[in-house]
Amino acid sequence: MIDRLTAALQGSRADFTEIRVETSWSSAVSVRGRRLESATASEDQGGFVRALNRGCGWGTASFTSLDQLEAMVVRADELSRAVRLDRPIRLAPVPPQQAEAILDLDGDVRGVPLADKKRLIEAYNGAMLAVSDRIVDTLATYRDEVSEYWYVNSEGTVLHELRPEVTLSGTAVARRDGTIEKGLESIGLRRGWNAVQHEAAGFRAAAERAVGLLEASSVQGGAYPVVLDPELAGVFIHEAFGHLSEADFVYENPQAREMMTLGRRFGKKVLNVGDNGAAPGLRGTLPFDDEGTPTQDSALIREGLLVGRLHSRETAAAMNERPTGNARAISFRHPPIVRMTNTYIGNGRGTFDDLIKDIKLGVYACSAFGGQTLLENFSFTAAYGHMIRDGAVAELVKDVVLAGNLFQTLDRIDHIAGDFRWNQMGGGCGKAGQYPLPVTEGAPHVRIEEALIGGDVPA
Amino acid sequence: MIDGLLELARHRVEGGGGADALERRVERTSIAFEWGRLKAAGVTQEGGVNLRVLHRGRVGIAGTTNVGVGDAAAQHAAPLLERALASAELGEEVALVFPAPAKLPRLVTHVARAADASLERLIQIGQGLLERLAREGCQVNVAIEREVAETRVANTAGAQGTYRSTGVALSADLWRIAGDDVLAIGDALEGCDLPADDALDGVVRSITTRLDHALHIVAPPEGALPVVFTPTGLSAVLLPVTQGLSGKAVVQGISPLGNRVGEQVFHAGLSLTDDPLASGRTASRPLDDECVPSRVTCLVQGGVVQRFVYDLETAARAKTESTGHGQRGIFGKPVPAYTNIVLGETGNVKREAWNGLGGGLLRDITDGLLVDELIGVGQGNVIAGAFSHPVALAYRVERGEITGRVKDAAVAGNAYDLLKRIGGFGSDARWAGSRYAPSVLLEGVAVARR
Repeated sequence: MIDRLTAALQGSRADFTEIRVETSWSSAVSVRGRRLESATASEDQGGFVRALNRGCGWGTASFTSLDQLEAMVVRADELSRAVRLDRPIRLAPVPPQQAEAILDLDGDVRGVPLADKKRLIEAYNGAMLAVSDRIVDTLATYRDEVSEYWYVNSEGTVLHELRPEVTLSGTAVARRDGTIEKGLESIGLRRGWNAVQHEAAGFRAAAERAVGLLEASSVQGGAYPVVLDPELAGVFIHEAFGHLSEADFVYENPQAREMMTLGRRFGKKVLNVGDNGAAPGLRGTLPFDDEGTPTQDSALIREGLLVGRLHSRETAAAMNERPTGNARAISFRHPPIVRMTNTYIGNGRGTFDDLIKDIKLGVYACSAFGGQTLLENFSFTAAYGHMIRDGAVAELVKDVVLAGNLFQTLDRIDHIAGDFRWNQMGGGCGKAGQYPLPVTEGAPHVRIEEALIGGDVPA
Repeated sequence: MIDGLLELARHRVEGGGGADALERRVERTSIAFEWGRLKAAGVTQEGGVNLRVLHRGRVGIAGTTNVGVGDAAAQHAAPLLERALASAELGEEVALVFPAPAKLPRLVTHVARAADASLERLIQIGQGLLERLAREGCQVNVAIEREVAETRVANTAGAQGTYRSTGVALSADLWRIAGDDVLAIGDALEGCDLPADDALDGVVRSITTRLDHALHIVAPPEGALPVVFTPTGLSAVLLPVTQGLSGKAVVQGISPLGNRVGEQVFHAGLSLTDDPLASGRTASRPLDDECVPSRVTCLVQGGVVQRFVYDLETAARAKTESTGHGQRGIFGKPVPAYTNIVLGETGNVKREAWNGLGGGLLRDITDGLLVDELIGVGQGNVIAGAFSHPVALAYRVERGEITGRVKDAAVAGNAYDLLKRIGGFGSDARWAGSRYAPSVLLEGVAVARR
């Protein structure tokens, strides 16, 4: 394959050309309620060519038929030439890389019969159903993938990788009369079959939570001191801050650049944030990004001050900064764009109890159903929450929606505990039609002095 | 490829089974103007086959993008069938019935002008829009994607259909950042043809009008208030209803509408229809992805729940007929999905007419909101109907007029309750993606400040 790709590169007239080819084997088994929803094994393959000429824009071509490779190299060059630019696109230099990276397959999922995968996920689904007869519906999904990946560019980079991934997810729906509640479990690992053999407890906990929420009342909307658990804190930093640190948002927008000036204060001294694509063993981890740039640990906020951002080669050149290895594509169907990898809030000091001991009335918001940011505004739906009363965790509450302004909220983070953990969840990040990109988030417990909790808004 | 594949499958499936398959070939051409200038042009060529077999009473699925043409295609058919049969070994029993041949409605899904438009023509459209949206202190992104596709579906019962289709999607976003105030206002067009001049005028007018009203920021109101949801702002209120009307949710027993057919659940003025035959829309098609001919499905009429949408499998489980809503990709099995959703005041879907934001519904509002976009729609326990979202783009309405943009406000309520209290439908019905709807005034929506 490498020979074929390097030969195709030689056929390009463009000043810069890169080719990615991927073949992926995946299987998925879903069980809903007491029956199998589907069990499939799929094979997907295709390629992506990107070309750039001086004074011109990007030309791209993606295709599922590899017979078309040479024709697509020509097409990408033509498309680049059709885009005339007054200010040229430059690429920050990255030394040519040659690597053969076979990640630990940890029990190659391709060798495991589909029937075994079905048995595994049925057992986890059964763990949810067994919790209560109030569990009226469940959905448990096992999914795995191994993709073989080749990347070459006209500067001499040649990469060949084998990338595994396995994800489990569970949804338990509990119902009592007209009340319907959900509990979620999600695990995502860049590992294989061996890594997912002992996960029943998480599925059981999701079902127990759904049943528990049937008895919970909605949180009363209003402003509270709020403590985020590590999972929600991780989702929060990814959504609310991480996306702003992606340089494709700022690099050609003068007002955005001003808003994101390095050195600007974003929070108190306790706040440290980064993105680490090289952290060992995580789902967002890869040796290189999809432009052949080595991944790294990038500091974004240090002691409350903005110190860095995430780059592709193009955005780095435009801002006279260095590429950070954050140009990623979800598959050969898409161009690489600036994305996060494993985004984290750095560890603080003390325990969870230290965070809540002086809160008279507050909310402990846990786990995430989802989150969305529209730049400076965000909204996160916690999977569940507890009231904090007189320094202690009190009753379970539901419909905990955390909403606010990013700048104000980051600035109100006043205490970060020393109990950091990575949240190895499934799902993924979406941007510009590319979803789901494997990412991980990590954080300790985080306290926000005051934040708006939606939910039962008094009319 | 699929005819040979189905022929092979016919000889292999046992127990009175059968098979159906979908083959789709797509070519997309896209251009992107980023922060005010053309940055990239691209093509995508994709082909694939999705096969489903009913073997010994069990369903098996397989998909591949490794399709090839001619002899190469024949080579790929056998392994695909083997995978589908292997999947059926594990599959659940379903009393699936593949539909017999039927007459298909006539429908234009392919517009030669769109299929043949050159890259230069697409760039010209984008450039024109960009120039008209240019404003001091603002940045504009425009993206255009043109798709040309050929779809063939067939089954072993002899039903089949082939159609070519075109789609052109255009989106424009205008960004204005002033200090820490980030304002993004966008609009999008989608259709089988290139966008007409008046449609492009509409995009410019829609964005600039909303921008003009947004420059002045006012304090949000608070309390249970009349709120007008624009055609795009309606999503939060309609999503629980469309989820609840899906046969899949009904079969699972999680739809609050599941046992309420024939009941007056909503305001008597509310009607919802799924229309796969709507002219010029990219979601329209002569038959669904399971060979069921397209027909209009009335979901809600006069506030009364009429029926749910089903694909073959959910229909079999619910012991009813497919409504022609099977949708399938290359991988995975078919699922019930809507085509074009049309919301109308019963018997009176008004023509697109511009009379300002809110379609004439603001007149009688003393103090309230106009909501154009919310944050976090689709998160949480949607089907239950309760929602609470901060506003992304909303305006305060006082004494019948917009007085400015509000920030730091959230709206909340229960969609099923609010849709009983419809205060009026606007005269500004338009397509927003695959939904046609006017602005809708809802009474007593909880509005909170922060």
